[in-house]
Amino acid sequence: MKRLFLILFLLPFISGCWDKVEIEQRAFVTSIGIDVNQGQEEKDKLTVTYQYPNINAIGKNAGVGSPNYLLTANSSSVFQAGRQFVSREPFPFHYKHLKVIILGEDLLKEESLLRAVLDELNRDTKVNKRVRIIAADRTAKEIMEASFNKEQRTEGTIYATVRDNTKTGSFTSKSLADLITDFDISGVTLVPKISLDEQNNFVISGGAILKDYKFLGWIDASENKIINLINGNMIVDTLDVIYEGHLISFVITETTTDRNIKFDHEIKANIDVLVEGYLQGYVLSDKNTVGDNETVLSMERTLEEEIMKVVNRTLIHLKDIKADLLGIGEHISKFHPKKWEKIEDQWDEVFADAKININVDVKMRRIGLTK
Amino acid sequence: MQKKNTISNNQIKNLLITTIIGVGILSLPSNMATILDNDGWAAILASGLLIVPFILMIDRLFKMYPNKDIFEIGEEVLGRVLFTVLLIVLLLYTIITLAYGSRIFGEVIKGYLLDRTPIKVIIITMLLAAAYISRTEIEVLGRMATMVYPILIILIVFIAMISIPKGDYTNILPVFNADFRLLPKGILISIFSYAGYEIIVLAYSASDSKGDTLKYVLRGLFIVIGIYLITFFSTLSQLGINQLKRRIWPTIAIANEVDLPGYFIENLDGIVLALWVLIVYTTIGPILYTGGKTLSYIFNTRSHDMFILPLIPLIYILSIIPDNIISVYENMGTILGYMVIASNIAIPFLIFVVALIRKRRSKA
Repeated sequence: MKRLFLILFLLPFISGCWDKVEIEQRAFVTSIGIDVNQGQEEKDKLTVTYQYPNINAIGKNAGVGSPNYLLTANSSSVFQAGRQFVSREPFPFHYKHLKVIILGEDLLKEESLLRAVLDELNRDTKVNKRVRIIAADRTAKEIMEASFNKEQRTEGTIYATVRDNTKTGSFTSKSLADLITDFDISGVTLVPKISLDEQNNFVISGGAILKDYKFLGWIDASENKIINLINGNMIVDTLDVIYEGHLISFVITETTTDRNIKFDHEIKANIDVLVEGYLQGYVLSDKNTVGDNETVLSMERTLEEEIMKVVNRTLIHLKDIKADLLGIGEHISKFHPKKWEKIEDQWDEVFADAKININVDVKMRRIGLTK
Repeated sequence: MQKKNTISNNQIKNLLITTIIGVGILSLPSNMATILDNDGWAAILASGLLIVPFILMIDRLFKMYPNKDIFEIGEEVLGRVLFTVLLIVLLLYTIITLAYGSRIFGEVIKGYLLDRTPIKVIIITMLLAAAYISRTEIEVLGRMATMVYPILIILIVFIAMISIPKGDYTNILPVFNADFRLLPKGILISIFSYAGYEIIVLAYSASDSKGDTLKYVLRGLFIVIGIYLITFFSTLSQLGINQLKRRIWPTIAIANEVDLPGYFIENLDGIVLALWVLIVYTTIGPILYTGGKTLSYIFNTRSHDMFILPLIPLIYILSIIPDNIISVYENMGTILGYMVIASNIAIPFLIFVVALIRKRRSKA
């Protein structure tokens, strides 16, 4: 009798997963595009686009149907949009696998809206703070519609491209956490720029400079490369220069940056960048060989000159818009905290007046298999 | 069969470590960074070292009265009435600590893992599970601590390892730049992270080789300081000072935001929190045991297990009183900050000083 009661008592606890949700019945949002809903004053200021994979259409026994879904709504916030989609989409949204957030150009220009969006994402317990942020040079919706259904991967080709800088230095991969840290430290950050080419394919190259949560300007891929070079974000990239009438391509394998800052009447920043790499292509000819050290040294000089040209252009551009993307403010705040306290408030002006001297030293460590 | 009811010194060390480390480890780096910026480690270190003299006092006390447990010593030194009054203060502190711990436990689990489960269910389940272990004797607690200790170490090593490759170590700079007049305030907050060390008062008299218990206890304390410092530096290097201040639970954040190349697992908060549940369990269990033992002395009963279950509704009600998580940290945290000093520092000191005076007098 006792045993029977015990068994009856235990029955409610062996119900198992009575409220389980199958994986096909979850909508895992992978990308969100956010734009400003023009003309709205009070509510529904944003146009939010969700992209999520069709779980039934991927895997080994994939069913039919489009691999992705795309939904757009006017909404007051990013997650509010998800609630509005409920009337159109049978399954609840899950944000844990959110990989990419595309910010439309008009959103970048509205500081208060951008702050609200970023806070919402940073505060949420489900969104991973390593979600990549991309700036679009048009509306995010256009970008997402263009790349929609061209991709086979669940997480999206956009994410695979901007995941990190191991393949190229022409943009700076930026996660939500990095973005906020950058704003905290120097107030300026660089976000990869996404645009569309003539065939309506997305292109990620260059970047958008944001300052205090507001759009400041675009920079092109070569300037972005230089900024990555100085900040040590460049992992592998190629430089093409003309050397004695022939094109040489040089692969950068490692960069080391040394910042040295002196305080006199003004700030003198010395940035020494050591670029190491190998020669990838020159010309197959009897006359032009890389047989002696002289040639290597003169190639290095040509590369240095070529890099310095872009460095100077970038530096003028950055000083012009007062955007310290070279990590000088961060360096001062960490290594000269007492000085930093004095200049922190007028850092923009101090940066614009500072004497910044960038020295690039190229070392061609290897020349490949042939001379 | 006769139960031996003694524990080895190694078990005491493990019990000390697992009891001290609990819910505090999630928010400690952020709290310290808010007060002392990059030099938050100084407060963690200082408050840890501040505990050392009190451990020495407790050790001395047990050497003065060999083969007696803390209740017998307290009664002999202070007299039954005064000692009971002190124990009631201790009991109050124990109950509030448990309420605080289980509320934060509930909030974290609800926030990260079980967002549709009512927080009440999470708290009650945890308290009932802890009640099971705290109804046993100290020997069982020691064995449980020895089982959980490797898990704790794995968790800390894991947190340190995942933050090594991508951490920016210049984030630790500048050091020695904070306003060190705020250090006492920092110590006041961080000393609460060392609450729970009073479990050694109960464990000391049960040790099977009393000669070198002190060595093990101090070793345990230094491991705790080490673990806290590792957590602080990992979170600081990974998040940077401003994000660290902004986050409520930075320790979970770094496990969650690990982003290593070729790293196919993401969102590790589930795994880390599953391990963390065990760590909280080994905090709530022994502290609940302390509460039961105290009540058992006050009511003069032979065993303490009958007091555990009646304590649970009380702890539960206290734990759901604060309106929100901010109020838990602000109000309960402040009350506990003062109580921890009263109960963990003032009371051992009082007993020790009175005992010392008595010994001197009886010799003279």
